Amino acid sequence: MQTFTTRTNVSSTTTASVLIIDGLILRRQQQSLLSLSATIHGGEILTIMGPSGSGKSTLLNWLTGMLPADFSAEGQLHLNGQNITTTASHLRHIGLLYQDPLLFPHLSVAGNIGFAMPPGPKAQRQVVISESLIEVGLGGLEQRSPQSLSGGQQARVALLRVLLSQPKAILLDEPFSKLDSQLRQETRQLVFEQIRQHQLPVIMVTHDQTDADAAQGKIISL
Amino acid sequence: MSTLSRLFNPIVRFSPYIMMTLLLVPVLGGLIGVILPAFGWIPALNQTDFSLNGFSQLWQTPGIGHMALLSIGTSFISTLLAFSITILILASYFTSPWLGYIQRFLGPILVIPHAAAAIAIGFLITPSGMLSRLISPWLSGWNASPDWLYPHDAMGLSIILGLTLKELPFLLLMALGVLAQLDLGQTLRAQHKLALSLGYCPMTAFFKVVLPSLYPHLRLPIFAVLAYASASVEIPLILGPNDPSTLAVAIMQWFHDVDLSLRIKASAGAILQVQLTLLVLASWWLLERLVIQFAKPMLINGQREYGGAIIQKITHIITALILIIIGLALVGMLLWSFAGFWHFPDALPQQFVMLHWQTALQQMHTPLVDTVLIAICATALGITLTLLTLEAEQHSGKSLSLLGGLLIYLPLLIPSIAFLFGLVWLLELVNSQHTFINVVLAHLLFVLPYVFLSLASSYRRLDPRFSILAASLGATKAKIFFRIKLPMLIGPIFIACALGLAISFSQYLPTLLTGGGRINTITTEAVSLANGGSRRISAVYALMQMILPALGFLLAWFLPKMLVKRHQSGS
Repeated sequence: MQTFTTRTNVSSTTTASVLIIDGLILRRQQQSLLSLSATIHGGEILTIMGPSGSGKSTLLNWLTGMLPADFSAEGQLHLNGQNITTTASHLRHIGLLYQDPLLFPHLSVAGNIGFAMPPGPKAQRQVVISESLIEVGLGGLEQRSPQSLSGGQQARVALLRVLLSQPKAILLDEPFSKLDSQLRQETRQLVFEQIRQHQLPVIMVTHDQTDADAAQGKIISL
Repeated sequence: MSTLSRLFNPIVRFSPYIMMTLLLVPVLGGLIGVILPAFGWIPALNQTDFSLNGFSQLWQTPGIGHMALLSIGTSFISTLLAFSITILILASYFTSPWLGYIQRFLGPILVIPHAAAAIAIGFLITPSGMLSRLISPWLSGWNASPDWLYPHDAMGLSIILGLTLKELPFLLLMALGVLAQLDLGQTLRAQHKLALSLGYCPMTAFFKVVLPSLYPHLRLPIFAVLAYASASVEIPLILGPNDPSTLAVAIMQWFHDVDLSLRIKASAGAILQVQLTLLVLASWWLLERLVIQFAKPMLINGQREYGGAIIQKITHIITALILIIIGLALVGMLLWSFAGFWHFPDALPQQFVMLHWQTALQQMHTPLVDTVLIAICATALGITLTLLTLEAEQHSGKSLSLLGGLLIYLPLLIPSIAFLFGLVWLLELVNSQHTFINVVLAHLLFVLPYVFLSLASSYRRLDPRFSILAASLGATKAKIFFRIKLPMLIGPIFIACALGLAISFSQYLPTLLTGGGRINTITTEAVSLANGGSRRISAVYALMQMILPALGFLLAWFLPKMLVKRHQSGS
């Protein structure tokens, strides 16, 4: 069992977003898998590195509230001052970005993003979608089907989808590992830029050192 | 081995053609054998002038509109119900272990023959059935059995109940089969999870993310269910009204009438039946389009919650009700089979006796032997043809064309009542006296598609490197087939055998028609006992119908394990 603490003082920022993992211990059956405490402020990226089997995906499952039945957890999760340890997955407002873009095949590009946005007047939503697509260099692709896009384009749509859902924190699960190196660097830069702009706390799980370096945040190796 | 090796390749090459011939000739020949008489051409009755008399007789039949409506209404409503409940169960338990429990409970229901299921449900809702006993007299105040018309109600509600309960496990297991596909299932689960992380409640996430990708895979099974339900005979015969009955039941009675001229009307009716089935399919397709048009904008409106919690509670209640109804029907039938004297409002018989089982077992000796022999022959033939056809696919390096793939399922999609009579006529024409062979071939029409469906995916998925490796060691194709592929597929092959046996056990119409009264099986006996006769004996027959396929699946599950164990310890 390993223990890591990267706890900093939480006093100054009360209005800005902050994600706090407080005394987490994850167990499979009775065996301890990992323990962790961390505070991540808006715009910060906490990088978790480790080989497979070290509990990275279990940690993500706990953060999203989808811990499988044969695992147990101790400790608390606070998001912007609210204790969400036992909150249902869909009420947590924690966005997810996987290595696969997982765009919905039955919806267009605009449909995928619209799916994630909060309800509102249709025309207004369409304007937001178009503007955000232009911002990431995908202007005019609203009605395309996701399968017709390149890997990099799909990754950008997936990013817009999670950002426009107005999450309060974001988890990145090996987000760039399926992209080749040139594309990887560009996409990474775009994702980190956007996240910092939105001032969101981020936890990134990766096994790639360059990802960790680019994040410029704390790194925890499991 | 050497002669076998030399013969193996040609046999494999020809087997797809043999299989297609055995499927297509009876179906198409049977259809022609219905179309010609429908237009007045029956040489056997000295009628060789083409006319529309059959159709005008048909229109003049009292209640013909009612019959058609009953066929359309019961099949459409029951399929809609079964589909809706399937989707509700999937949506409510998508991430819950309960989905697995429900699957395990409903799975065995799938192999209960329609006739047995209908008998069980009939026992449940009949005036002196379990349902009225359980609420009497404390709730209903009845001291004598109530005066209601269920089963056999004129509206066909009993038929709808029977069909829904039989269709539900089929559709649910089909959907779970799609979700069990490695790529698709994982992607859909990941997308569902992603929708949750975007703030969608689990129920809405299922409807907006999973269902649109899942539904296209369910369309063919739904069409098969609709086609079957619109023309089925057993359930409306046992649970439906008599006058007028559904069209399919009426057609069967006209064909069996001593007045042979009614055959012209019956053939015209069979053609009307095909049109009704097409109408039901078209209606479903239209409804599907309308729902998609209506729901499409809702997918992306960002609304995350539509009262999922309430829908989930309703689903809990519906699921519980269904499980209770099935459980009560089965328990009720078991009680009847052992019941001695059973006074009305009592929930349990006063005494239990073995008499009905003894009587029934003595009566059913010949039908039982015939049932098993026919099933074994049809299944052995079906499995052999399926395996050889799948092997031929790998020899030629291309899988069956879309057309070929569809043709295999033809006997399931065309209402059997529409071609079986023509088939009987065809058999009379070629003067085939071998009743036993005729019945086996008729059963094969329905056994083959299911066996093929059950085996194809595991055969195609088998890692091709094993064969390549064996070939590089000098093994012939025959040796690879018998020594590598078949042993590796022993599990799926046994399951396919059990499925084939179960399908054969459950056939009513094909046995009745091609058997020509000379061959009876447990199923034909059970149906004829169901309306009239002793309820207690009927219960024994229906239970026997359930025990046979259950034994088959038990063996299919047990034998491969035994063989493997012996192989491991013996070598």
